[in-house]
Amino acid sequence: MLFLTELIHQIYFILAAIFAILLLRGLFKRGTRKTFIYDIVYAYSIIPFLLRALHIK
Amino acid sequence: MKNNHYKTRKIIILAIVLVLAFLGGREFYEIRHFKQSIVVSDAFTERFMLSDYSDSIKGTWADTPVYLYDSGEPGGSMLWLGGTHPYEPATMLAAYIAAENIKVKKGKVYIIPAANYSAMTMGILGNAYPNYYTLETQWGSKKMRIGARNANPLDQWPDPFTYVHYPSTQNLAYQDIRNLNRTYPGRPNGSLTERLSYAIMELIRQENIDLYVDMHEASLMYPVVSTYVAHDRSLDICMMASMTLSAEQFPMKCEASPKSLRGLSHREVGDFSDTLAVLMETPEPFIDRVAGRITEELMLTGKDEFLQTASEAGLLYAQPEYDIEFGSPMEYRVGRHLSSTMEVIKWMSDFFPEKEMILEFPLYEDLMEKGAGYFLQDPAKADKDKLFYN
Repeated sequence: MLFLTELIHQIYFILAAIFAILLLRGLFKRGTRKTFIYDIVYAYSIIPFLLRALHIK
Repeated sequence: MKNNHYKTRKIIILAIVLVLAFLGGREFYEIRHFKQSIVVSDAFTERFMLSDYSDSIKGTWADTPVYLYDSGEPGGSMLWLGGTHPYEPATMLAAYIAAENIKVKKGKVYIIPAANYSAMTMGILGNAYPNYYTLETQWGSKKMRIGARNANPLDQWPDPFTYVHYPSTQNLAYQDIRNLNRTYPGRPNGSLTERLSYAIMELIRQENIDLYVDMHEASLMYPVVSTYVAHDRSLDICMMASMTLSAEQFPMKCEASPKSLRGLSHREVGDFSDTLAVLMETPEPFIDRVAGRITEELMLTGKDEFLQTASEAGLLYAQPEYDIEFGSPMEYRVGRHLSSTMEVIKWMSDFFPEKEMILEFPLYEDLMEKGAGYFLQDPAKADKDKLFYN
């Protein structure tokens, strides 16, 4: 059980990193919503995932 | 050309965002790694980690220092907890003041200033309150940390949809799986907070702790504020302590630990060990939902006009009645905890002479006269073997 708990816990960090990468990709390579505002939204949304993936917040 | 323009724009935005992430992240990193100095008193015996009693928290952020003060004279023993909920910082300050000033003439005392260490490494999400408060001492200012209620999600995540308490199987709020005061008696193979509870239980069981005191602070709209909550076996000593305090020092209520409310220390610690389990609450306006600006000043003085209005409307449970002229200052709350603990020790010694403990540490009157900072030692002038970082 301890192992499973730890595994799930670590998977969440990995997922956070994957979402950060997806958002980064979305910032540079997206087909729709290409305005300046959406650039800000995509870039800003990276912060929580980045901080979580780095074990900071 | 246009594509290059877009790309440059995105890179600039990303760079700005990364700077913001760095600035925000640095603050989060600092509070996560902040260390509090502690200069132990002459009665100090040894410092060890709680994981000595359960390997299951070794190397985790739940592992926390325990300070032992052993008189060498046979008598009672006490485990004294601050920081079960680190957003109730008078509990940690009371523990630090005790650890830095205590004299033990009979019996032994174990002090854990930050029981839920993981919860001390962050603030409460969404509450926008200060991470620290500053105490004035005789030798300058001392920065003190304000933490959160539950363990840090960095250390225990994800939360379940419903937290099923072990072993009662009672359903509790999902976030309470990270709440040290909902996970007792814990288990060695459970969540991190359950493992922490288990380690505390193991310390109590292996050291045959006679008295367990868990310090808390409560919002003034919570009926259990200014109260002892006593397990069945400790009800007599708490009732006597409550009456004595109310007659001589300050109003202090006493309640019996409900049998149907599972996971709380005053219930489970008493049920799953032979100790006399006691929980104590002081009034902390800082965590009241109706309080105005949540500032460092509010933390230190407890003065809030919205609470005054609530008090006039009869909505508060604090005793004595809340008065903005006085508020609920830090030294008052710390002093209450110290004197409330001493009174319980006295009555335990009276009811059970074989568990007698003779201790000295600053009490309510001392705190009200000299302030809380007066009793903190200067780490710059401390002997190296007495200086620790918590």
